[in-house]
Amino acid sequence: MSLIEVSHLYKKFQIAKRQEGLWGALRSLVHRDYLTKTAVRDVSFAVNRGEMVGYVGPNGAGKSTTIKMLTGILVPTSGEIRVNGLIPYQERQKNARQIGVVFGQRTQLWWDLPVIESFLLLKQVFRVPDHRYDHNMAVFSDILGLDEFLNTPVRQLSLGQRMRADIAASLLHDPLILFLDEPTIGLDVLAKERMRQFITEINRERGVTVILTTHDMSDIEKLCRRMILIDNGQVMYDGELALIKELFGKERVLIVDLEGKTGSFSIAGAHLIKEEGNRKWLRFSREVTTASQLINRIAEKYEIKDLTIKDTEIEVMIRHIYEKGIASYESNPLPDNQ
Amino acid sequence: MVKSLIRGIVMYLYMVDASIRAQLQYRYAFVMNILGWAMTYAGTAVTMWVLLFSFGALDGWVFWELIFLFALAVLSWGVCMIFFFHFRSLDQYIVNGTFDRFLVRPVHPFFHFMAMKFDVGALGQFLFSIAAVGLAYSNLNLHWTWQWAVFLGAVIGGSLIQGGLLVAISAVAFWTTRSERLYWVIMWPLKNLMNYPLSIYPRLVQLLVVFILPFAFVNYLPALILLEKTGRIFAPFWGALSPLVGGIFFWLCFRFWLLGLDRYKSTGS
Repeated sequence: MSLIEVSHLYKKFQIAKRQEGLWGALRSLVHRDYLTKTAVRDVSFAVNRGEMVGYVGPNGAGKSTTIKMLTGILVPTSGEIRVNGLIPYQERQKNARQIGVVFGQRTQLWWDLPVIESFLLLKQVFRVPDHRYDHNMAVFSDILGLDEFLNTPVRQLSLGQRMRADIAASLLHDPLILFLDEPTIGLDVLAKERMRQFITEINRERGVTVILTTHDMSDIEKLCRRMILIDNGQVMYDGELALIKELFGKERVLIVDLEGKTGSFSIAGAHLIKEEGNRKWLRFSREVTTASQLINRIAEKYEIKDLTIKDTEIEVMIRHIYEKGIASYESNPLPDNQ
Repeated sequence: MVKSLIRGIVMYLYMVDASIRAQLQYRYAFVMNILGWAMTYAGTAVTMWVLLFSFGALDGWVFWELIFLFALAVLSWGVCMIFFFHFRSLDQYIVNGTFDRFLVRPVHPFFHFMAMKFDVGALGQFLFSIAAVGLAYSNLNLHWTWQWAVFLGAVIGGSLIQGGLLVAISAVAFWTTRSERLYWVIMWPLKNLMNYPLSIYPRLVQLLVVFILPFAFVNYLPALILLEKTGRIFAPFWGALSPLVGGIFFWLCFRFWLLGLDRYKSTGS
């Protein structure tokens, strides 16, 4: 049996429709129309013990909502969740003992107290035995360098220090599963690297199952073998990261700003994926054409004002998979050529 | 059962200890807060003195009786503040999304939230009210025996009634994400209303604070027994019911809070 099992999970929210203008605002005091927004739609997956899974998607895709249901904060509208056999929203407190949670942007530590005090309080809250606490503190201090700020109040920590303290705090009670919601958001390159190393180590040495959400693709690349892609509340892809990388790695996007009237724009060897006035986004594959060939071809027909080349962004990959499905991509990796 | 209760208390004490130390971090604010409150209440007492200086008595209540009435309310408010004042900031936690942390810990969220702050700012309330009750006691030549039990009951019942209302108001934030305004619209006027004898107010108001939001049990009704005043509307023994009324009212408010928590768990905002 898998450690985490999610099947046909739905979460719907009722959102009050905003009425226009003053009259509308007054009317909404008495009567409101509601829209139903489906944040998570028929999501199913299973995670085995010791896995490290990236839960990826653009903002508002339903990542956090899923995490909140797995941790027992939110009750699903329908569907089933089992976390190590427990139903999180029914046995929330029991479930809390076996999971660790880090919300990247919000600390779980006591704001006005020195870091060490928060740890001691959490030791009480989770009833961590003395020897486990001592052992864990020794290990975490060593890897995360907690000693330099253990006696500093949380409010005076830098973001990087605070994240280190937060992740250590979430692991004090030896959880089976660690949920990380945007663990590297806002961190500088060094701090990110340090955080990733620690996560890798926790996963490898202690066998902690890690589920992390992020919209930083490099987090996933460094950490996870498996990725679950989600958009509009639906699972778009669930599988090896390597496969995705292979598919999209050879692709890049050329953004050109053109001068004058462009009319209907098309270029052989590249696929127009977006346009805003005279700015065009062209996706092209290294296997079909090189960047310089492409630029030459454009320059023959149009006057180029400016250009940039970008690796395919996660949003673009998701969009593509969302529109056409991963299967269509595998069978026809060449850009459309009208 | 007993074991888990003891564990709960031990944990509460740990968090209280931490909370007090957190508040002591800001020493200047800490002292000013206490002095500020004590002086605010003393100011109200002076207003009463000025009022009575011209009128002699207010509906049969002389100055020291009024002070007693007022100080009794402040005393139970002080006790209530220590335990429940933190609920006023619940809406901030919900708006910031920091409330979630209480749901990923193996402790009841109500208890956990309550233990987050043990508001020692209430020392200001104690400073004023204990002095004022003491002065009133000697100036009115009171000699209590069994009345001490009623007095204690009034303090406990009064803190539960006021704490209950704080809890209930905070719970509104589970639906609306904001509840601070309600505090000023409901709690504040009610508290001010109770600074004076209930008998001076219209009948409708009296019924409201006896049967719906039972603030009459915080100070007016107990004061009738304690000062041996014959209430014209309510028999004096009503005042002895404070702890019972407080217990029931608090329980209802607590249930309302849990209802709000359920709502939060289904909407998450």
